[in-house]
Order: sequence, then C-alpha cells, then structure tokens
Amino acid sequence: MINVQRSLSEIYNAKSEENLPLLRTVGLTKSYVTRTGGSVFALSDISLALADGEFVSVVGPSGCGKSTLMKLLAGIIPGSAGQIYFRGQLASRAQRGMGVVFQSPVLLPWLTVLENVLLPVRVLRMKRGPAEERGRRLLALVGLDGFEGKYPKELSGGMQQRTSIARSLIHDPGILLMDEPFGALDALTRENISMELQRIWLANRKTVFFITHSILEAVFLSDRVLVMSARPGRILREFRIPFARPRDFDLTTSLEFNHYMKEIRHLLGAKVDG
Amino acid sequence: MADSRPRWPAIQSLLDFSITFMWTFVSAALLFAFWQISVDFFAIPSYVLPRPSAVWNALVAGTVVDPTSRGSFWYQLADTLHATIFGFAIASVLGIALAGIMVEFRTVQRLLFPYVVCLQSLPKVAIAPLFVIWFGFQIESKIAMAASLTLFPILLNSLEGFSVIERERLELMTSLDASRWQTFWLIKWPSALPFVFTGLNLGIVYALLGTIVAEFLGAQRGVGVVISQLQSVSDTAGVFAMLVVLVVVSYLMISFMRALQRRVVFWSDGSHSSDIE
Repeated sequence: MINVQRSLSEIYNAKSEENLPLLRTVGLTKSYVTRTGGSVFALSDISLALADGEFVSVVGPSGCGKSTLMKLLAGIIPGSAGQIYFRGQLASRAQRGMGVVFQSPVLLPWLTVLENVLLPVRVLRMKRGPAEERGRRLLALVGLDGFEGKYPKELSGGMQQRTSIARSLIHDPGILLMDEPFGALDALTRENISMELQRIWLANRKTVFFITHSILEAVFLSDRVLVMSARPGRILREFRIPFARPRDFDLTTSLEFNHYMKEIRHLLGAKVDG
Repeated sequence: MADSRPRWPAIQSLLDFSITFMWTFVSAALLFAFWQISVDFFAIPSYVLPRPSAVWNALVAGTVVDPTSRGSFWYQLADTLHATIFGFAIASVLGIALAGIMVEFRTVQRLLFPYVVCLQSLPKVAIAPLFVIWFGFQIESKIAMAASLTLFPILLNSLEGFSVIERERLELMTSLDASRWQTFWLIKWPSALPFVFTGLNLGIVYALLGTIVAEFLGAQRGVGVVISQLQSVSDTAGVFAMLVVLVVVSYLMISFMRALQRRVVFWSDGSHSSDIE
C-alpha cells in the first residue's frame, strides 16, 4: 500500500513539477489506543494539498482533531497511517521548512523579544548576523518596532502572539502552520491581529495553514476553507473564497460573505461559535 | 503601555527598608527588655537562661579575641563555613547533574529512583556515625554530612523542575527538528532553573544543619564543637552567643542565595515550590 502511494507520488512529481503542491497528505490517519485496549480515531483519512502561497483555513467543532492535524503536519507527533509529502518528498519527521504558531505564544521568558524571534536561528545553526537583521525587520512587520530588548512579560497577549508569528517566519519557512493562534485573545485584539496577519501574508505570500474555530476569521483570511467533521475528524467539504485582497473588515458585513458563513455554519450543524 | 512602577524605585525601597528596620529594632528592644527584666524578677539561674547582657558580653569576648585562638568565634566559624560551603557545592553539582541525567535517560531514572526514595525516607542524621568511621574526625566527615543532607532537596526540586516543563515549549523544539542536546540547553535547563533555585535555597540551610550535627557527633573544630563544649561546662550565655552567630551566618547565606536567585532567574516570580522537604 505504501509502495503504491509512493510510486503514485513519483509519477505525479514527474508529470508536473510546476503545479506540485507544496504540502500534500494522503490518507493521513491518527488513532490512539485507549486504556481499555480499543482504539479511538482522532483523524481519519485526511487527504489535502496546499499550493505554494495559498492561505487555507480549517474549521471544525471542538475536539475534531484540528490540532492533531497540525501536529502531524509539523512533525510533532507521528501519524498512524498515511503519508505527508513536503515539496514532493515523503516527510517522516519535523521539516525545517515549516514555521509553527501555537495557540499560546510559547515565548521563553528568559529571552528578550528579539532573542525569542531568533530561537529557530540558534536551533537551525543559521548565520547570526543576517538573521538578526531579518529579526528586526520581522518585528517591525508585526508592529513591534522598538520592543526588541523587552522581555515577554512586559508585552500584552496580542504583542506576545505577534512575536511568536515573527519567530515562526525567521527561518523563512515554506509553510506557516497556525493552530488557533488568536484563540486566547479578546475580540477586538483578534480583529486587529487578523488584519495584521492578512498584511503579513500579503507581504510574504507564504503558504499558511490556519486552524481556527472562528468561521468569520476563516472566511475573512482564506483562499480556501476546509470544514472538518466531529471526531473522528475528516474533511467534509472545501469552500473557495473568491474575495479580492486586501480584504477590509467591512467585507464581513456583506451579503456574499455572510452567505459563506451561513453555509459553513449549517454544515457544522451550528456547533461552532462564529 | 503605562509604566506602573513608582517614579523613584530606589528611594521607595530604601524607605520601605527603613520602616521594616525600625519595626524590627523596636521588636528586638522590647524582647530584650522583657527578657532581662524577667530573668532578674523571677531570679532564673544563669545556667538555665542567661541575661541578654551576659550573652552580649560572651558575644563580644568571642568576637574581639585573637582570630587564630580557639576561643575566637571566627576561628571556629571558619571551619564550619568551610564544611558547609563545600558540602553545599558538592551536593549542588551532584544533585543537579543527577536530576538532569535521570530526566534525559529514563533507564537511569528507573534504576536510581528506588534508591532515591529509600535514602530520602531515611533520617540522614542517623548515618552521621558512619561518616565518622569512614572519614574520621576531620573536616571530611562534616562535608559528607552536609552534602548528604543537602543532596535530596536539590535533587528532588531539580527533578520536579525538569518534569513540569510546558509541553508546547518541547513541541516547538520538535517542530524545529532540534537535537536532544539543543532541547536540553535551550529549553529544559532554563525552564527548570527556578525549581533548582528552590532546591538550592533549601539546601544551603540543610548544609549548615548537617555540618553542625557532624560537629556535635565528633569533630576537632567548629561551632557545633564549641556549643557542646560550652554546654558541658554549663556556659549557657556562651551557647546563646554561638546561636546568635549561627542566626547571623544563616541569614546572610539565605540572603545571598535569594539575591543570586533574583539575578539568575529574573523572569520567575519565585513561587516555584514543589513542597518537597
């Protein structure tokens, strides 16, 4: 089975180098063994592809395995079955070409903001000089000009999360994986930081895989929205969101925008908060 | 962001300190007055409870005498401190290193943990006579005693520190494909440091305790030796004077550790207690 998949992918690769998706999963499944010896499926048969430069969101009810999916893609946990291809290569462990943003900022309190941003540089043993320059530019990009020498404790929640976005971009990853990055922020900050994220994305055009439980956020930010079912998580349907960019928050009150929101909400059985 | 700190933090803290100091002084004056009057009023024999003035005289006598003579506090204190600091240093290095190795290598942890639990339940003071047999009446047995009492609070608090690390910090490192070595030095070690310091703060007190106990049991020099000698001649004022010396020394050591902690783990609020020992 694995061999078949592999050769298929090789054929696929040979055929169209141009349209090769940056990240692709085939039949990705994650199951856990329970205490009683049975197995519980967290994710079932996830096949998706992310094109270069695409912004894709995943929405789904709580506990549908969204975070598990991100951890699988990031190589933080191993899958039970299926494959992940990154730039056409079978990925079996963490890929250095990915940047991860967690639900909490996960900043190290003993490092300054700039040093936090430079953490991947230290781990990946990249050149310090140019990285530091890039770090300062990224901090400016996320609106934290002049905060380089501060410690995380001195920053608000929104600023901390923006620092972690800068950190996820420092090693110039091909993909940004974001797991409900604004989940812990208040509504107003969320709105602002969504706008910021759009601006950052437009400036970088990185492929973004964005997990959220906010339908509004998903529709507002994405080229495509994947809707997942309750556990075991599988992809129910995908929506292409055609609005031109940059998008304004006024868009969210438009009829067409709300049509998408309504469709997605109905699909989820109104189990998710908008 | 609004700056909520006082405008003159140095002056503010000096003022706070002065007020605290004043109250401490008033409290001490009241205690000593009450003590002195009670001893006179109830005619308590001096070998039961000496007057504070007698304690003061003994203290002065021991302090001003030639520091190289056996009657000098400095002479005795030097040996006690020597053993305390060496015992503390050995236990710190051993405890922290053992904790790190046990956390990184599960096999080592499984092999060693039963002994840790056993030895920790043992009243360590009971092994002091063994140290005298093994290391003699010199400073070595005092160092051994100090280290053996100090080891466990440091080891157990460090272990706790290494094992309560936020999972996402480790996941971040995994997502970067970090090596085990990098994860240890960049994440685990600094994350555990506040807990390590909790262990060190406890440890310094235990190191002094261990040294004194060893000196009671058999040693040539040290504060503990002097206390038991003074006790045998019913020089209670002298014993009290030595206790005052110990309080001051202990207080200075604890203050030093706290200052070091504030400087090294400046990001922590210092509430990393694991309730061990």
